[in-house]
Amino acid sequence: MVNKKESLVYEAAGQWKDGAAKNITFIVTKDCQLACKYCYLVGKNTKERMSWDVAKRSIDYILDHKEYFSEESVIWDFIGGEPFLEIDLIDKICDYLKMEMFRRNHHWFNSYRFSFSTNGINYHTDKVQNFIKKNAGHVSIGITIDGTKRKHDLNRIWKTKEGFSPKPEEEKGSYEDVVKNIPLWLEQFPNGGTKVTISSADIPFIKESVLHLYSLGIHEVNINVVFEDVWKDGDDKLFEEQLMQLADAIIDNKYYLGNTCSFFSDSIGKPLDKDLDNRNWCGAGRMLSIDAAGNFYPCTRFAAYSLRSKKPIIIGNVKDGINKNLLRPFLTLDRTTQSPQECIDCEVASGCAWCQGENYDAADTSTVYQRATAICKMHKARVRANNYYWNKLYRKLEMEGQREEFEKNKKKSNDVIC
Amino acid sequence: MLQYLVILLDKTSTSFCHYKAPSNSPKEGRTLIPLETLRQGIRFGMMENLMIQYVYPDHELPEEYQEVLESIDHSKIKPYGQEDADVLVVDGFQQVKATVPVVLRVTKKELFAHQAEVAEMLADVPRLNVVLTDVETFTEADFEAYKECLTRLAANVERLYVDGKSPQLNLLTDRMMLSQMNNCGAGDTTITLAPNGKFYVCPAFYYENEADSIGDLEHGLDIKNKQLYKLEYAPICRHCDAWQCKRCIWLNRKTTLEVNTPSHEQCVVAHLERNASKELLQNIRKHGTFLPEQEEIKEIDYLDPFDKRDTWQ
Repeated sequence: MVNKKESLVYEAAGQWKDGAAKNITFIVTKDCQLACKYCYLVGKNTKERMSWDVAKRSIDYILDHKEYFSEESVIWDFIGGEPFLEIDLIDKICDYLKMEMFRRNHHWFNSYRFSFSTNGINYHTDKVQNFIKKNAGHVSIGITIDGTKRKHDLNRIWKTKEGFSPKPEEEKGSYEDVVKNIPLWLEQFPNGGTKVTISSADIPFIKESVLHLYSLGIHEVNINVVFEDVWKDGDDKLFEEQLMQLADAIIDNKYYLGNTCSFFSDSIGKPLDKDLDNRNWCGAGRMLSIDAAGNFYPCTRFAAYSLRSKKPIIIGNVKDGINKNLLRPFLTLDRTTQSPQECIDCEVASGCAWCQGENYDAADTSTVYQRATAICKMHKARVRANNYYWNKLYRKLEMEGQREEFEKNKKKSNDVIC
Repeated sequence: MLQYLVILLDKTSTSFCHYKAPSNSPKEGRTLIPLETLRQGIRFGMMENLMIQYVYPDHELPEEYQEVLESIDHSKIKPYGQEDADVLVVDGFQQVKATVPVVLRVTKKELFAHQAEVAEMLADVPRLNVVLTDVETFTEADFEAYKECLTRLAANVERLYVDGKSPQLNLLTDRMMLSQMNNCGAGDTTITLAPNGKFYVCPAFYYENEADSIGDLEHGLDIKNKQLYKLEYAPICRHCDAWQCKRCIWLNRKTTLEVNTPSHEQCVVAHLERNASKELLQNIRKHGTFLPEQEEIKEIDYLDPFDKRDTWQ
């Protein structure tokens, strides 16, 4: 049992202004130990590591320009590749941030969070552990574990010593290297959630994987299908079947008490009003990403290493600052302007997500205003299974006289966008 | 819906808008549109029911072109100094007289320096379209200077109206007459045929990157994401009432990377014109009835509609 007093959960931070936070991402490295088959980062490499000089100049620019960063709170996000490969740099960045926010009496001091999404392989190392302890109360860490060993190892494989994707016969999964760190992580972050990514080959393992994660003690499973156009004929049917089986298992075994799976949400699958429900889905442009060269991006997905077929969208750099004209398209994006008529008229539109970066990458022209619709069939399958889940669950709860109590205590599942 | 086809008769055809065309020197690449391409372009225009606008270079065309050019109803955009034009283009400040509309392409510096002469020209031309060729470089100080410049020009326009004349200056009088957006329409109502036989959103797209075409005479038009050239798909512009703004698609892409999104500079410049038009309309009406069917231009508290985006929903 975790002693709450010793827990290092980030929620301990008292001044946190949830929902009003600026997300600032340092792409500290484009290197990773793994060569996950579904990874959208097509340009990973070992060379582009952020220098201290670039990190410091970025921080100075951001803290010098309060007028551009007026949000009440900040999430300092560190990604890669694998961010913990650069734990020394991250530690130095975070020390400098704390010192500078204090010295400047910045409104973000004591209203900040250091956030990480890691493959979990280095989680147990002294350096990472020391960092977590040092920054207790201000750290949020998500470890990506994809489910059962066979599901996880299907995609999340080690790269070769030379740094390449291995041949099929030489593939080595990373499950064992990650799962060993899950107990320590959950001890430190008992509310930690994981992010599961579903590509075409993963569909048969969805049910077993979600249930496996619950059995590991991970109560929040944030799961999404990839936005890229990877789907084969019949995938939607298979997906629907897996979700139906998962729905039965969650309900029959009462896993709905204390666990969430983001595939099931009672707010999805409804029509959307073209005027009242016209907001953009994602926060591209409202966040800021910085790479090793000191370039600024509206989101990491617009950096060159994330893009298959388009030029990066660089909105500034540490030397010249942010070009606000380049942010205008992002800050005026709405749902209907970028959506085809089929999406605007869709009767199950709510909850159908998009990634602005993938929209841009897949667009016929160089624009963020063309919504990619590769997940259309998958979303509709999800909606059908989701309807089944809630109809079955609510009926059961009503029969048991527990619906009101359930609704009152229901944990909200997160919509996963990237 | 397409309505206009601009045909560049040469690679060095005069620029009548924000973009810079190659100079007329033979060294820089005079490339006349091949006669057969011109014929096919005209044929395309006829079949699509488009009004044709020829844009001329600053050198004479071979004799054999005349018959082909005259084979369809059209208008002619020519460099100042040439005869038989429907629109004359003056590149760089020069005080001119003309009996047809004149496009005056000037930098902000030229306009600020010659505003008095520009004001004088209003009495000597039926219409003056001032095109600022460096809108994207405007600073806060330039906005102030432009506001002052428009006020002075407006005083002159008012004086001319009081004297019973009807001067036309795009920066000030267009907005008074309009009741809806009147943008250039590139990619929506207007396309351009270049000497290479390919179609472009506008001449600027051709000069910037020849590979950026939207079809050709052989295969027809193929405008990807064509909805983005329409006003309804421009989130800032569809909330705007600076109706005289040309909403330059090319400048949009140059400054914001999106054809449907204007820069801050373009919006502020257009709103300074809008506000000056508002004052002008009020001032002219003090002298008597003027455009009675037109409503007053409303007082607004912004110069860039982007700043009001939180109120759009």
